[in-house]
Amino acid sequence: MPKRLINLTVNGEAYEVAVEPWWSLLYTVREELGLTGSKEGCGTGDCGACSMLVDGRLVTSCIMLAVEADGCQVTTIEGLATDGNLHPVQQAFVEKGAVQCGYCIPGMVMAAYDLLRRNPNPTLEEVRLGLAGNLCRCTGYAKIYEAVLAAAERMRGD
Amino acid sequence: MARETLERTGFRHVGRPVDRIDATGKVTGETPYGDDLRFPRLLHAKLVHAPVAHARIRRIDVSKALAVPGVEAVVTAADLPSHRINPDVRQQTLLARDEVLFYGQPVAAVLARDPYAAAHARDLVEVEYEELPAVVDPLEAMREDSPLARTSAIQEADRSEEQGHITIEAEQEQAQSRPSNVSSTITFKRGDIEAGFAEADAVVEGTWRSAMVHQSYIEPHVTIADYDANGELTIWSSTQAPFHVRHEVARTLGLPDARVRVVATEVGGGFGGKIYLYEALVGALAIHARRPVKLAMSRKEDMLAATPAPQAVVQLKAGMKADGTLVALQARVIYDSGAFPGAPVLPGCLLIGGSYKCPNLDIEGFEVLTNKVSVGALRAPGAPHVAFALESAMDMLAQRLELDPLEVRLKNAVEKGDPLPSGQPYPAIGLKECLEAIARTEIWQQRHQTRQRPNRGVGVAVGGWLGGLQPASATVGLNADGTVNVTVGAADITGTNTTFAQIAAEELNLPLSMVSVVTGDTKTAPYAGMTAGSKTTYTVGRAVKLAAEDARQQILAIASQRLEVPAEELEMEDGVVRAKGQPEKQVTFAELGRLTTGFGARYAPIVGRGAITARRQAPGFSAQVAEVEVDPDTGEVTVLRYAVAQDVGFAINPKSVEGQMQGGAAQGLGIALSEEMVYDERGRLLNPNLLDYRLPTTRDVPPIEAIIVEVPSEEGPYGARIVGEPSIVPGPAAVANAVADAVGARIFEVPITPERVLRALGKLQD
Ligand code: FES
Ligand code: FES
Repeated sequence: MPKRLINLTVNGEAYEVAVEPWWSLLYTVREELGLTGSKEGCGTGDCGACSMLVDGRLVTSCIMLAVEADGCQVTTIEGLATDGNLHPVQQAFVEKGAVQCGYCIPGMVMAAYDLLRRNPNPTLEEVRLGLAGNLCRCTGYAKIYEAVLAAAERMRGD
Repeated sequence: MARETLERTGFRHVGRPVDRIDATGKVTGETPYGDDLRFPRLLHAKLVHAPVAHARIRRIDVSKALAVPGVEAVVTAADLPSHRINPDVRQQTLLARDEVLFYGQPVAAVLARDPYAAAHARDLVEVEYEELPAVVDPLEAMREDSPLARTSAIQEADRSEEQGHITIEAEQEQAQSRPSNVSSTITFKRGDIEAGFAEADAVVEGTWRSAMVHQSYIEPHVTIADYDANGELTIWSSTQAPFHVRHEVARTLGLPDARVRVVATEVGGGFGGKIYLYEALVGALAIHARRPVKLAMSRKEDMLAATPAPQAVVQLKAGMKADGTLVALQARVIYDSGAFPGAPVLPGCLLIGGSYKCPNLDIEGFEVLTNKVSVGALRAPGAPHVAFALESAMDMLAQRLELDPLEVRLKNAVEKGDPLPSGQPYPAIGLKECLEAIARTEIWQQRHQTRQRPNRGVGVAVGGWLGGLQPASATVGLNADGTVNVTVGAADITGTNTTFAQIAAEELNLPLSMVSVVTGDTKTAPYAGMTAGSKTTYTVGRAVKLAAEDARQQILAIASQRLEVPAEELEMEDGVVRAKGQPEKQVTFAELGRLTTGFGARYAPIVGRGAITARRQAPGFSAQVAEVEVDPDTGEVTVLRYAVAQDVGFAINPKSVEGQMQGGAAQGLGIALSEEMVYDERGRLLNPNLLDYRLPTTRDVPPIEAIIVEVPSEEGPYGARIVGEPSIVPGPAAVANAVADAVGARIFEVPITPERVLRALGKLQD
């Protein structure tokens, strides 16, 4: 079977990529575009380490085929910081000590970013519900909750 | 943040919360992990995992796999040099040769140009197996009439992984004369156990079971190897133990240590599960292929064939006097080691008899072989299993004698000078202080109100870890511009390099921004032991401190000559050395940097050297309290509030110390409530994925309160002691005690699933 040409806009940049029909979006972004920030923790949609935004929707990119994303706008962890300035969510993760081994963090930050877009003023319980698809084995989540709540506050400007 | 000890004064950096120096790279996705590295001409390896737990390999046919486009080679044991293969040691077995010993054991490796082709071809390798009886349950395995888990007896067991986590002298007896699945035993006795029980006013007993659990680091194992034209083998691995890996790989592949270079890539979580596993195999594959080879395990492969933590059965009988004095402990501790020896029997036996003062002990430990994946270390290996039994029994005794469970623990808690079951006395420890801290938490203070509410309860438990010991070294160098480089050989997982920056900055009285820390590879870095056994700050931290002190002396010596002021009359601050009381007499680090590195420089470079050997442990204890709610209809247990107090000696970076405590406690909750590798009666793992193997999620883990307790250790830097491991230990017992408090039913098996709760409540019968 020949490869298929698809068009992706990733973090604002347009790409034309030749993909095998069985390649996941995660594999394609990592291997063909060289954006290795998104991680594979499970490959089955259970850990959230590969979380990306596709046309504004948070997806686990390990179980989305690249061909399904043809023509889509994709935002990965590499697209969050602007002009070298960390996004407030990233900044809060650093300051609150929410980062340990870091492997879950790109996905966790994407999920938190998505949560705060939809709900700028979440309660602790809403944060816990909102991040339930992202596993972290290191932190016990406490400092992640703190970071997301702090980022929300900073983004609201109060 | 709560702080339970004296005000710390006189320190500029150590003891203050600082951001991790590597956090920005991690939040932006820039930090490369092993799977993110790129290599020209790379081959991807996929392993053929045996679909049977115990079998003889009859025949392997690789022809169909070899025909897949992109496949370069299919390697079996017959293709590997056989002379150094040791069938008694998992990591030296490389690929199964004649006998498959566990479900998932690698029997062949496919090398292909892309991972999809490798995976496809892997499924086309045909292996003919003659199935042998599989031994799955450790208690069955101990019976005299049990089939044997392996056809050849163990000659030589490898205990390096255990020793990296806990370093202590004790006799471990190798298997007896009769062929048996019991591969080693340990016995500790003290006093007269029968007299102890005779003296007791209450005696409780039970059998506590803990499931096999997986470390479940979010980054699966990844190893890359390249063998170059100069005959040098380089290995990139997400290992916690680069120097250990180097030596083991060299030994197994017949190379000198000096020809093997191990680069520890960023570790995406280890918890003891990433010491040493497939590095020699991948090295052998790279030598075979003469191309770089990468083995990136999928989650399923990692769950099938890494080194999880053992299942255990603990039979415990305990006796206490009416005043709460513990007088007798009798235990039989059984760990299922899986297909190779290496279960944590020694720490289990030491801790079950070494957490409380008890005059009469009778402890027996067994390591049992079965046809399951061989076990490895997981954060305080073996300790949660015994704490589950011991701490449940303490609550049962307290209840029987109508005593306060926390008071009973305080009364019997071990202190400095008390002996371990091995006889070795404890150095300074803070178990009592941790209990006192927990007694002050809101959760504990409000326990009576909590109990008023239906199905709510509060439980307390303690646990500890003794810690590993290995030598360590470090260097501190002054750069041309006056900044400072610290070089260590220890993999940084928990923020230790940030801690080392604090230490060096403290000793040289510099701003943190002037210090940079790097973990070198095994060719460039000074030696350090494995990042395991909670010892990195305790040992490497001391080496860094010494190296910084050494650099300081060298700096002062040169400054003294330049300024013509005796070294004792100099002080240094923010990169300036000046004469006390004569601020005009000064020289900057930048000038000294030039004077020691420039063309025709007058002075030799400044290289501080620190090297230590650690012989004395600094054990850490933790006390924890859980508030739970049990749904009597579904059996579901919800943890509403949780607090962990831990003695860390001195928290050099309280921010990362708290994170360690919270992370370990959450892992304890996973063991308590949801994690279990489920095997069927033929030894097949039924849930090798993160949907059916349930890790704690944000919905399961409330914000855990971390209370830092500081009882200084004798030898750690600034009094720091081990931190990483103790926090995982008390969780299962704390939750079980809280559940018993909530609904009056005691659960003797973790994970405490809804089904087990309903059974204990008598709402579910077989
Ligand atoms: S890697 Fe995609 S959800 Fe785990
Ligand atoms: S920081 Fe390690 S998995 Fe989250």
